[in-house]
Amino acid sequence: MTPFLTGFIIILLFLSGVYVAAVMERWSVTGHVNWGGPVRSFLLLFAREEIKTRKHDKVFFETAPVLFIGVILLTISILPFGRGSVVIDLGTGALFINAALVYVMVALLMAGWAINGVYAMVGGWRALAQLIAYSMPVVMALTATVMRAESMFLTDIVESQQGLWNILYQPVGFILFYISALAITFLPPFDLPTARGELAGGVWADLTGARKLLFRLGRLTLVFTVSAAVVVLYLGGWMGPWLPDFVWTFLKTLLVAASFFAIGRFMPRIRHDHLLEYNWKYGVPLALYNIFQVGVVLLL
Amino acid sequence: MAPLTQYLILLGMLVATAGLVWMLYLIKQSLGQTLDEPGKNIPAESGNLAPKPAWLRYHVHYYGYALLFLAFDMEMAYMYPWAVVYKEVGLVALLDMGVFLMILFLGLIYTWTQLGLKRQ
Repeated sequence: MTPFLTGFIIILLFLSGVYVAAVMERWSVTGHVNWGGPVRSFLLLFAREEIKTRKHDKVFFETAPVLFIGVILLTISILPFGRGSVVIDLGTGALFINAALVYVMVALLMAGWAINGVYAMVGGWRALAQLIAYSMPVVMALTATVMRAESMFLTDIVESQQGLWNILYQPVGFILFYISALAITFLPPFDLPTARGELAGGVWADLTGARKLLFRLGRLTLVFTVSAAVVVLYLGGWMGPWLPDFVWTFLKTLLVAASFFAIGRFMPRIRHDHLLEYNWKYGVPLALYNIFQVGVVLLL
Repeated sequence: MAPLTQYLILLGMLVATAGLVWMLYLIKQSLGQTLDEPGKNIPAESGNLAPKPAWLRYHVHYYGYALLFLAFDMEMAYMYPWAVVYKEVGLVALLDMGVFLMILFLGLIYTWTQLGLKRQ
């Protein structure tokens, strides 16, 4: 296959993956699988009136949705889908994932601030505390994968998992990264910034129309991106028999995304203070332990 | 591909995203204007009007978390280059980072004992 055709197929797969994520998101709330649902909610949001709250912060109001969706697209563009089909193979790939995903938090805080409503503001601060806390285990788990690969190129990290995937090589790191990934995507057990019951929608409460649409789309892309990151870092990336390599990445990514939504379907929302305490008291020490364990195993 | 080209592509992607969003806004605008009705632009606050702007509400505890985050974040910036050369340097690298992390970890334990991780 020519690289052009492969690239085209990968983009198609990516779009269909985001669509499937949208279907699953709906399922995780209502329990029904509705394949036409995302189109309907897209049109609904598109036709809705654009209401701006009084005395909103104009700069943040305009930049937050763009920033949110922009950094997520940057992250997905550096992830390797297949052996030869990498758009951009950055020398600082592992660091870049973390650096870009931190802006999700900034965008959420900006959106919460911009609206100038109490619920949105509380949601914004919650997003800040939650994502600051959970960016720590993410970084430390990433470091352990870099230690094994001796390189920050994501392609090298995938190659280093030849023979033994990182999920078995460093299970503690995988669990930490998985839970933190769930917290970064603010999906149901961790959906505190946009909690429906407590905050009436939180950060998104007063967004309508195109801006809400961008945030919804951005979050679906974020789920897909973070799942792809889990696959690249821990589940052997494109490795697998028979099928072409990018198909394997896609299938594994869908599986991880499905597991995210399944957890959201069957878990109650976690309390905000518990969430912070669990992370700092257990998450950070466990992440340090993981680095130590990988270090010792590497030297043996 | 040279690193400079890669970052140029990334910048281009950001600009393209902004352009796409702008187009979306333009299409949205062409579909119709928002009707100006009383009470429409009030943020959701269970039907009450807020007495003052919402931009004052944050808890003093955030400063503690911010300090803790700063301490660990600085460490992480140091840790990436360390992780790349770790296997080459060997046991010395493990000891170096072990001592460094131990000092940082003491900071976390200190915060913990001072109830800095508790949220009231």
